[in-house]
Amino acid sequence: MASASGNSDDDLTIPRAAINKIIKQILPNVRVANDAREMVVNCCTEFIHLVSSEANEICNRSDKKTISPEHIMQALVSLGFGSYITEVKEVLRECKTVALERRKANARLENLGIPEEELLRQQQELFAKARQQQAELAQQEWLQMQQAAQQAQLAATTANKAGSSQDEEEEEDT
Amino acid sequence: RPGLQHKLLRLPLSRIKGLMKADPDVSLASQEAVFAIGKATELFVEVIAKDAYSFALRGKRKTIQRKDVDNAVDATDEFAFLEGTLD
Repeated sequence: MASASGNSDDDLTIPRAAINKIIKQILPNVRVANDAREMVVNCCTEFIHLVSSEANEICNRSDKKTISPEHIMQALVSLGFGSYITEVKEVLRECKTVALERRKANARLENLGIPEEELLRQQQELFAKARQQQAELAQQEWLQMQQAAQQAQLAATTANKAGSSQDEEEEEDT
Repeated sequence: RPGLQHKLLRLPLSRIKGLMKADPDVSLASQEAVFAIGKATELFVEVIAKDAYSFALRGKRKTIQRKDVDNAVDATDEFAFLEGTLD
């Protein structure tokens, strides 16, 4: 039964590639005809509808409004798929672990976050420090320039004096 | 961390959820419920594939044909709901 629009809910199936992967993992070197694969894909759709409906009825009979994993597991048992429960429970345990790790990671990230007023205060502090350092540097440079200028002036004066006395010395040598 | 990146299911959660929602009578399911049904569906695929394979072997074939899947459906009581799928 083909539908005109591409978005009909009735056309939903599990992607073929995902099914192929599972079959490949469980039967590594076995060839599977295309129409056999197609059949398995459609059986999955039926399976999900079957378990959902059963779980929904179980949920309606309970005091819950949302279908829980417990409802799913009860449905599986009731439909004759009780042998699946062990592995389903394992996946649920792993779910909880992943969720817990994610919450812990988020909590750590939130603790690293600094409130905005504190960030502004730190910024003001940094600017003040920077301004002070700049002022000190500028003052140092000014002092050095002054010293250099003084030394230059001193050297010039000494050279003049030395220039006249140097003539006398030279005459004495020869 | 490798532990956090490991995929829990081989089937896409979003598609499973979509399939559940396609039935207007079915209530909203929790994310864990979707995980549960997803895992069950994966196991279902494994079981029906293995069952079909045993029929192929019986027919002395190395390729699983459509009729092997049909035989697998007929041979298991729990698969009665699949009678007439893809007719």
